[in-house]
Amino acid sequence: MKHGSRRQFLAASGGLAIGAVLPTRAAAQLARVPPNNMPDVIRKLVGPAPIKPGKVKIGLPPLVENGNLVPLSISVESPMTEADHVKAIHVFTEKNPLPETVSFYLGPRAGRADIATRIRLADTQTVVAIAQLSDGSFWSDSTHVIVTLAACLEEL
Amino acid sequence: MIIDTPKISRRSFIIGSAAIGSGLALGMNIPFGPRVARAADGSPEVTAWVVIRPDDTVVIRIARSEMGQGTLTGLAQMCAEELECDWSKVTTEYPTPGQSVARKRAWGDFSTGGSRGIRESHEYVRKGGATARVMLVQAAADAWKVPAAECSVANSVITHGPSGRKTTFGAVAEAASRITPPKDVPLKDPKTWKLIGKPIKRLDTTDKLTGKQIYGADLTLPGMLNATIKECPVFGGKVKSFDAAKVAGMKGVKKVVQVGDTAVAVIADTWWQAKTALDALPIVWDEGENAKVSSASIADLLKAGLDADQAFVGNQNGDAKTAIAGAAKRVEAVYAYPYQNHAAMEPMNATARYTADKCEVWCGTQNGEAAFAATLTASGLPADKCEVYKLLLGGGFGRRGAFHDYVRQAVLVAKQMPGVPVKLLWTREEDMTQGRYHPVTQCKLVGGFDAGNNLTGLHMRISGQSILTAVRPEALKDGADPATFQGVVPSGEFEFGYSVPNLLIDHAMRNPHVPPGFWRGVNINQNAIYIECFMDELAQAAGQDALEFRRKLMAKHPKHLAVLNAVAERAGWGKPAPQGVFRGLAQMKAFNSYVAACAEISVSGDNKVKIQRIVCATDPGYAVNPAQIERQIAGSFVYGLSAVFDQECTVKNGRIEQTNFNTYNSMRIAQMPKVEAIVMPSGGFWGGVGEPTICVAAPAVLNAYFAATGKRIRSFPLKNHGIALV
Repeated sequence: MKHGSRRQFLAASGGLAIGAVLPTRAAAQLARVPPNNMPDVIRKLVGPAPIKPGKVKIGLPPLVENGNLVPLSISVESPMTEADHVKAIHVFTEKNPLPETVSFYLGPRAGRADIATRIRLADTQTVVAIAQLSDGSFWSDSTHVIVTLAACLEEL
Repeated sequence: MIIDTPKISRRSFIIGSAAIGSGLALGMNIPFGPRVARAADGSPEVTAWVVIRPDDTVVIRIARSEMGQGTLTGLAQMCAEELECDWSKVTTEYPTPGQSVARKRAWGDFSTGGSRGIRESHEYVRKGGATARVMLVQAAADAWKVPAAECSVANSVITHGPSGRKTTFGAVAEAASRITPPKDVPLKDPKTWKLIGKPIKRLDTTDKLTGKQIYGADLTLPGMLNATIKECPVFGGKVKSFDAAKVAGMKGVKKVVQVGDTAVAVIADTWWQAKTALDALPIVWDEGENAKVSSASIADLLKAGLDADQAFVGNQNGDAKTAIAGAAKRVEAVYAYPYQNHAAMEPMNATARYTADKCEVWCGTQNGEAAFAATLTASGLPADKCEVYKLLLGGGFGRRGAFHDYVRQAVLVAKQMPGVPVKLLWTREEDMTQGRYHPVTQCKLVGGFDAGNNLTGLHMRISGQSILTAVRPEALKDGADPATFQGVVPSGEFEFGYSVPNLLIDHAMRNPHVPPGFWRGVNINQNAIYIECFMDELAQAAGQDALEFRRKLMAKHPKHLAVLNAVAERAGWGKPAPQGVFRGLAQMKAFNSYVAACAEISVSGDNKVKIQRIVCATDPGYAVNPAQIERQIAGSFVYGLSAVFDQECTVKNGRIEQTNFNTYNSMRIAQMPKVEAIVMPSGGFWGGVGEPTICVAAPAVLNAYFAATGKRIRSFPLKNHGIALV
């Protein structure tokens, strides 16, 4: 039921653009890593609150030669004042062994809600960023990253 | 394929419509892009895989890279089989990685390695042809205002049965391209295949013979400059300083540039000027700790792993250690396999042109998408401002697959000369010393027999380097490298072909600083030598025939056994060989194909080995082009036999010692044995062809060498033992 719950999550979240990864036979053949329980983990973190698309922007290349060190940036539109700021930015991956990749906790003194780091990606997959604002709302962005296959690598 | 330069950069498709159909959103799962896309000459694209010109020429798009292995012809055969087109009118072209990314990966995976070209894309390539066929027939039926079911199709001609009207693909392609692609078009039953399975001639032979094919090193662009590069010869070292002023005045020199932290390049009018200046350039390296490493220190590191307590388990049943400890008879042997370089005939190269708005790269690559990704990273530009144009590869073998260091370098060099195309071509010396080497391993094998000479326990301990740890650590499984066990795992594409009551195959990972890579066949090369030579040692110890001994252990592996039996029968195993000729056997399953070989050799008094014949069998499930498979087998033996007789990269002061073919030899035509290939596809699965057979040549020859001389050789290459191939 993982797919079912994922779809429900997507629908509930206002349709993160993850539609490009609907499984078919051809895709299954090439999929070397099965999806983890990302939707469940996101739901657990966010609770019943809606996750709206917008405000968050993920910077990730559309494809990388190697998933070992992938540059990631995230920026959230926010004045970053006492009254209105980003409290946290959470990054989730669909096919890494663990979906929770990294969380950043911010306050108004951060000045800007921009972060940059490097992450490891186990396979071609969707990356989701969710920002939690001081008013309790959640905003998100998602993107798909192709990790190209190493030449003679095979699943065993 | 026709590649005209510099028109290559204009080969991009003209997207005839901005509307993105719903099929596109499904990405590669349905191989259709925006409606209607057109080829550069305006011809309509029926599906992403098929463009048809008004003159009935069928252009089949191929995402995988042709590098001599024949995938271009094989994949075209598969698409054409379903398309029902006239094969004499088929030509091919590469879509670019940039187009594929822009079209949500319309052509799927570009990776050409792991012997995957055909076996992992056969379904969607055939579907691309089948869907196009249905659309073409529908277009004809629509024009005639008849039901499509009344129309038949053969050889690019569509016929309306009841009226006898005929038309051709070229006449209806434009209309067909506007039809919504049907979903789930059924594929033919393999029993009805007409093109697949036939030994059709290669599509690229004429262009190859006439010199029309453009390899990366051949490329010339207007205003192009030439560059060559030197990385720190000690892996992990850096550039400390260099004195550009010393060579700035040399003829043709345009610029001396640092590339990253680790390399220096010279850009000049001609390549020779760049090379001459780079040779003269004083460079001081910060070589670091690795400069202390030598082949001897690496061997010591690995040797310690042979008896280490901790190791990753790759295959286990029963209790091998206890069984061996209580055995009536024990057999033990230690083998070692060296570093080897891909040594592609064409050194690494790429041409790049960089401006703030666009970065274009021309190169040979086994993975257009990976080259594209390297271009994005190095240029810092977004995907819609980058493009990679694939040229032919003068050898891939894994070197141009997982590592696009040469693309990254070319872009970083071109960035320092904006607007000017720069061709970066490595020297042979750079290519030899900056490889991504076949990893180094040692292996200790111990077998135990009961009093009845039955093998009761087997322990295979591999000690040595992990490729994935260096290249793709994210693919490790709890720290273990599953690829280390290729050919000796319990099930799957690399299934071990023997049943032993108590078995342990494990790996003590020891990683020297020399960067490892995927070298054609990867870890099956040494694993086949280890296990197949040791099987002969065990048979000898048990006083049994090498074939009969194996057969007893292979009863539960009928497909493994079938190919072994096939070579034994063809070679006449068990019957007397000609005077002075000795035989050896080997088998393995790799890349989902079952392979076996029987070598016949003679050895002269001064240790000169003549391989009289190698009989080889492969069961790849389906044989798309049997003639091409036979050539692949022979080609794999060139690589495998060169490796076992002559090839070793040694390490001194942290760097590779061999710098050219004088010390890193490759076999010659006169040394090539007669190869008899038995292609025996049993159906129901898809196996690879390019790599599997490479691994059985060496152990078959080594076992024959023992039969001839009574000597077991357990470290390689054979030249180190004074053994020469003649």
